[in-house]
Amino acid sequence: MKRKNIKTKAWIAIASAFIVSLIVLNGCVESKKIADKSGAQLWAENCQRCHNTPSPASFSHGQWVTIGMHMQTRAQLTAKERDKIVAFLQQ
Amino acid sequence: MKLLRILICPLTSVLGLMAAISPAYAQQTAADSALQDRITALEQQVADQKPGESHFMVAGLTTFGYVTNKTTFTGPGAAGQIMRTNSFGDADHYELSPMLLWRHSNNLLVEFEPSFDGNTLGVNWANVTYFAAPALQVRAGYFVVPFGIYNKRLAAGWIDKLAGDPNGFDSPGTDFGIGFSGGVPLGDMKWSYDVSLTNGLQLLPDGELQNAGIADNNKGKMISGRFSLLPFSNSCLEIGVSGAHSNAGDAGSNFTSASVNMYGADINFVKSFDPILVNVKGQYNRIEVSGQTYPGQNGAPDYTFSNVSSAAFAQISLRPTGVDDKFLKNVELAYRYSSYNTPANSTWGANSHQNDFGVDYWLSWRTVLKFTYSLSHAVSTANADQGGTPGITDVSAVYLQFSVEF
Repeated sequence: MKRKNIKTKAWIAIASAFIVSLIVLNGCVESKKIADKSGAQLWAENCQRCHNTPSPASFSHGQWVTIGMHMQTRAQLTAKERDKIVAFLQQ
Repeated sequence: MKLLRILICPLTSVLGLMAAISPAYAQQTAADSALQDRITALEQQVADQKPGESHFMVAGLTTFGYVTNKTTFTGPGAAGQIMRTNSFGDADHYELSPMLLWRHSNNLLVEFEPSFDGNTLGVNWANVTYFAAPALQVRAGYFVVPFGIYNKRLAAGWIDKLAGDPNGFDSPGTDFGIGFSGGVPLGDMKWSYDVSLTNGLQLLPDGELQNAGIADNNKGKMISGRFSLLPFSNSCLEIGVSGAHSNAGDAGSNFTSASVNMYGADINFVKSFDPILVNVKGQYNRIEVSGQTYPGQNGAPDYTFSNVSSAAFAQISLRPTGVDDKFLKNVELAYRYSSYNTPANSTWGANSHQNDFGVDYWLSWRTVLKFTYSLSHAVSTANADQGGTPGITDVSAVYLQFSVEF
C-alpha cells in the first residue's frame, strides 16, 4: 500500500509539473531587459555556464545552426537565446 | 581611272581596318566565352553549396593522459599494503568520442556519440530530438537521463576542470526512453525543465543498481526530471532540483517489490569579478532503495541493510581572464571536494571522500592541458560476514591530461 501511495504521488507530481509547464510555456514572456540583449551578450553569459565561450571562427554557418540545436537541448536555452547566439556566431 | 582610285581607296581603308580589328574582336569573343564559362562554374559551385535544410557534421572530443597512482590498503590490525601503478590513458580517463549530429530540418536533430574508453567501444547517446515549440523539445532514443548537472553538462574532458570524475554520480546514467525539455523565460529570470520516462534501473543481488538496458527487467518505468531556476538576468546562477522514481526489481524475482527513489540538488555559479572569472559548481545525490532481503553470500544466511547511498561534490575554479598577460589569462586553478557514502552492512559499503587540486592551461577555448593531484580516503563499512572487506583505502594520484573538443 505504501509503495502504491509513493508511486501515485510521484505520478501526480510529474503530471502537475507537466501541466504547469504547459501553462507556463504559453504564459511566460521575457522582460524588455532580456529581449533587448544582443547575441554577443547572450553568448558571453550562457556558454560559460558550462564551458569556455566558443570562437565564432571554429565552425561554419551551417555547423553553428546544428550546434545551436544541440546546445539548446543540453543547456535548455530558450529559443530566442539560441537564435541570437547562433546569429552572432555566424558573423 | 580617277573614279577607280576613289573607290579603291576607301575599300582598302575598310579592309585594312577590318584586318586590324579582326584579331581584337576574336580575342574579345574568347574572353566573353571564358567569362561565361567561369560564371557557369561559379553558379554550379553556389548551387552545390546552398545551405538546404539538412546538415550533417561530426564534432566530439578526445581525452588522453598519464596517471601515477599509489594505493595503500590497511586491513584491521595489519600493516598497510602499498600498490603503485603508472599508466597512459587509464580506462577511467581516456576517451575518444566522435559526435555525429544530423540536422534533418530546423525541427529535427539526430545525435549519436559512440565512445571508445580504452577497453570497450560503447555509445554515450543515440537519440532524436523534435523541436516542437520554442520551449518544448521532445526526445526519444538512448540519452542521458535528466538528473543533476554533472553527467549531462560537466563530465566531458574538455569541460571538466579536473582530470577525474567525482565518485557516485553514475546513476541514473543513460537509458532508453522519451523525454521533454525546454528553457522558458520568466520576466528577468529564466527556468528550465527536463523530464523523461525510461526503462529504469535494475537491482542486483548485492543491492547495487545498474541500468536495465533495452531489454527491460520489469513493467515499471523510471520517471526522472530536473527543474532549474536562473534567478538573475545575466544567467550567472542556476539552481536545480532533481527527482526520480523507478521500479527496480526483476519481474518474478524476490525483488519484485523493489523501488528506487532518487533526490538531487545542484548549483552552478559563473561570474567575472574582474579580472578573475569565478566558477562554482556543486551537486548532491541521494538514492534510496526500498527495504529488501538480499541472498546470503558463500553459504551465509540472507541479510538486509538500509540501502541508501549519497554523493556530493563542491568545486571552485578561478581563472584570471581579465589580465593582459597572455600566458596567465589561460591558467585556471581548480579544487573539488567530493564524498560518496554507500550502504553500511552491504558487501560494498564504504564512506569515502576525495580532494582534487588542479592547474589547467587552456591552449584554446576547447583545448586544455590539466595537471591534477588527487587524494582519497575510504573507510569500509562492508558486511564482513557476507564477504565484504573491512579496512581503509587511501589513494594518491597525479594526472597529466590533455583534452580537446573537435
